Amino acid sequence: MEYGARSDPGRVRGNNEDNFRLAPEMGLFILSDGMGGLEAGEVASRLAVETVLDHCRQAEADPTLAVFGKHIDGVSETSNRLASAVRLANAEIYSHAKNRGGKAAMGATIVVLRFVEDRVCIAHVGDSRAYLLRDGQFDQLTEDHSFVADQVRRGMLTEEEASRSKMHNVLTRALGIDPQVEVDVTEELLRDGDIYVVCSDGLFRELSTSQISGVLQETDDPQRAASRLIDLANQAGGGDNITVMVLRNSSKSTRPFSKIGRWFKGSDENDPEAQS
Amino acid sequence: MSKLVLKFESAVLQEVAVGQKEVSIGRSPENGIVIDNPAVSNYHARVFTEEGRLMLQDFGSLNGTFVNGQRAKMIMLKPGDSITIGKHTIVVTDSVEVRARSLDHADPKPAVPKMNETVMLDTKDRRAFLEQIAAVGESAQPAPGRRKIPTLVVRNGNTDRSEYPLNDKLTVVGKSAMATVKLQGWFKPKAAAQINRKEDNTYYIGAADKTPSVNGEPITHPTKLTSGDLIEVAGVELEFVVRD
Repeated sequence: MEYGARSDPGRVRGNNEDNFRLAPEMGLFILSDGMGGLEAGEVASRLAVETVLDHCRQAEADPTLAVFGKHIDGVSETSNRLASAVRLANAEIYSHAKNRGGKAAMGATIVVLRFVEDRVCIAHVGDSRAYLLRDGQFDQLTEDHSFVADQVRRGMLTEEEASRSKMHNVLTRALGIDPQVEVDVTEELLRDGDIYVVCSDGLFRELSTSQISGVLQETDDPQRAASRLIDLANQAGGGDNITVMVLRNSSKSTRPFSKIGRWFKGSDENDPEAQS
Repeated sequence: MSKLVLKFESAVLQEVAVGQKEVSIGRSPENGIVIDNPAVSNYHARVFTEEGRLMLQDFGSLNGTFVNGQRAKMIMLKPGDSITIGKHTIVVTDSVEVRARSLDHADPKPAVPKMNETVMLDTKDRRAFLEQIAAVGESAQPAPGRRKIPTLVVRNGNTDRSEYPLNDKLTVVGKSAMATVKLQGWFKPKAAAQINRKEDNTYYIGAADKTPSVNGEPITHPTKLTSGDLIEVAGVELEFVVRD
């Protein structure tokens, strides 16, 4: 696994309310976009990424660590652990906001990717996204929890109409708003050459999906791809904070991080077909 | 006290009391009834009371306002009237009872976005709004408890079991520690094929390290499975069965 990441305040906002954490030794990548006045957004997104990282680290050291919230059927224990971490982050932000007297509401989105064995597990809340580029096809893996996306799903707006909507910034789900939150989880089979992009809305408000996938296809190095995407989003206006993580699964890599690739091969070191 | 009920097809999206306060209708977030659709003008129309009568006025909107099918500029409304704006309908009802959760101040986006800040739908309004909007498209989704779980039946080859219920979003056929259908033998791939369960409870088989065949044909793209399909991959034959 090779990876690159960058966060930028953009060209309009004075502060950066986005946060991200990389824990490649666990195959764990976390991104959050905060909201709320004063410094509330920055605090919310930092609480989000740190709570998720802490909970996953603790669970790694002690697999019997309690899972927070209801078990989700049809997905792995790894996905359930991510959902647990996200619910905990929700509770942290919610109680933090309450302790501040509820004057400034605070909230955050979250996207968590964890690569384990043969798959990637994804948990998310809000309108930050994960995309996958595979065989030239670029797909959004997460469904936005936003007013506009909701209307598109119900056939009330076409994609085209939605792109002109003024309601883009209205979320229907976020961390820190209610004592409980519903977390979406999904899993994808990991394939050689897969490129995952995790980003805050500052990226896809400024760039079309074909612009994003174009950068990924012309740049081999994930860090350069992440930087290039941020530069392009700034050139296009940079209306919001922009955070991008580019994660590339390649077993043929000769780059310094290729040793991490071995982790993904997991217990298969004796497999005659493993190509590490 | 009259009420305006905003509907999309059969679903009720919003209810607004009208009478003492006038209600504006349009695409802009400042309106009392917001219809987020390009066919609707920013400030499209308003409903207000004049000398005890409920009136509708169209602000010269591009696509017009229709009351009971007739284009209207200024018209008196009565209970039962149906106002059509774009693809949405607003029904006028005469209701003495104002329900507790009626959206009195009538804005699904109470925190009017300032400077393009990201905002949440406010808790109380959000709940009401989501409950109402949930009616749209609900019939298309099977109730989660009544979902049929198909089975993969092993017809040929070495696997750890003879059949597998397909309950997971991602089912892997291979040697991986997380594979559901565990292949046995030296030269089996870690992930030979994948089966994905979609939100609408349909199942698609896709390639991984191998390209599976369905009913003898190698697949070229993720392929929807139907009961009785025979899958061949990495030396095993699996039948996809949906039992009643």
